Amino acid sequence: MTAIGETSAQLALRDPDIRLMLRVRADEPGAFEELVSRFQQRLVAVMHHLVGNLEEAEDLAQEVFLRVYRARKKYRPRSKFATWLFTIANNLALNSLRAKQRKPVAQLRLSDSGSLGPRPAEQLVRDPGSGPMQRIQKEELAALIRQALDGLNERQRMAVVLNKFEDMNYAEIAEVMNLTVKAVKSLLSRARMNLRDILAPYVYMDGQPPARTAEEET
Amino acid sequence: MAERVPLNKKERAELVAYLDGELKGAAAQKVETQLTLNPEARAEAEALKRTWELLDFLPRAEPSTEFTQRTVSQIVSVRAMAKGAATVPARRPWLLGAGWAAAVLLAVTAGFTGTRLLTPTQPGEQELVRDLRIIENKRLYELVEDMDFLRQLDTPDLFGDEAAGS
Repeated sequence: MTAIGETSAQLALRDPDIRLMLRVRADEPGAFEELVSRFQQRLVAVMHHLVGNLEEAEDLAQEVFLRVYRARKKYRPRSKFATWLFTIANNLALNSLRAKQRKPVAQLRLSDSGSLGPRPAEQLVRDPGSGPMQRIQKEELAALIRQALDGLNERQRMAVVLNKFEDMNYAEIAEVMNLTVKAVKSLLSRARMNLRDILAPYVYMDGQPPARTAEEET
Repeated sequence: MAERVPLNKKERAELVAYLDGELKGAAAQKVETQLTLNPEARAEAEALKRTWELLDFLPRAEPSTEFTQRTVSQIVSVRAMAKGAATVPARRPWLLGAGWAAAVLLAVTAGFTGTRLLTPTQPGEQELVRDLRIIENKRLYELVEDMDFLRQLDTPDLFGDEAAGS
């Protein structure tokens, strides 16, 4: 195995995923399988949030792992392994989304909320305890949220998914998406505002909105 | 009475960064002051937090049980392709063809040149006649002790047919 630098060695000491990837690089039997097992759930979940289809998410995740394998001899740890992995995932996912040219969904109106009716928040409050109804409502709510996420452009969606579901900070997202931290800040701000606008009718579906103070009422 | 002042774009970005734990020191303090003094800022913050929490309702996809095995089996194909690529360059077929043509031309040229150099050239008719005279008089030439006399032998005026025949 070719030597790695001191900085890479320090990174490897701190990050067990880097140590695993170095074993993959050395073609150690079983190392690649262990890497796939360790990251498959996270990768498939992220891809699913982005493309909305499990089969496609698995195909994309598989391609990410194959690219990692093909690039293994050139791997040099410069940051967390997950950052490198999701950089590959980001490139693949964005290419896929652009190729499909998913169109943004029009902003949801209250009358478009399907079986829940025009006032879903009130409906939920009326039937808080019923099991199957609650399950259906949760599924419908999930579908609405899915649509809201689809309503973001690809980069906003990627930034939201990495921040929310991979718990990445702005610096890590910037590295994955090849942006500045300032650009990520702006991207996430716009994305969250868009989500808030689309999902405003459903924000307090699990309870009453906070009471406005007397001061706020005037 | 606290004034409800709508946030501008920059203030919203700062608020989102604050909620994400990205702000430190003076920047964080500025947002906290705004939240304390501006009900609109508090309402925005609350709405943003709630919206963010709604994303937890999205189901978390699980990969199929055979995903790992299927992925690992793909690297067998990757390895086979890598071996094939090592022997036959596949990326630019036109380059391969040009390379082969150049190699063949070079081989032919080298072969022709080498053959000319290594294979003795066939003597012309005059050379054959001269060599025949030498061969026919070889027995005599062996008795010659110096080159001057030998050269003289080649002089027809001195050693014509009479010299060859005796």
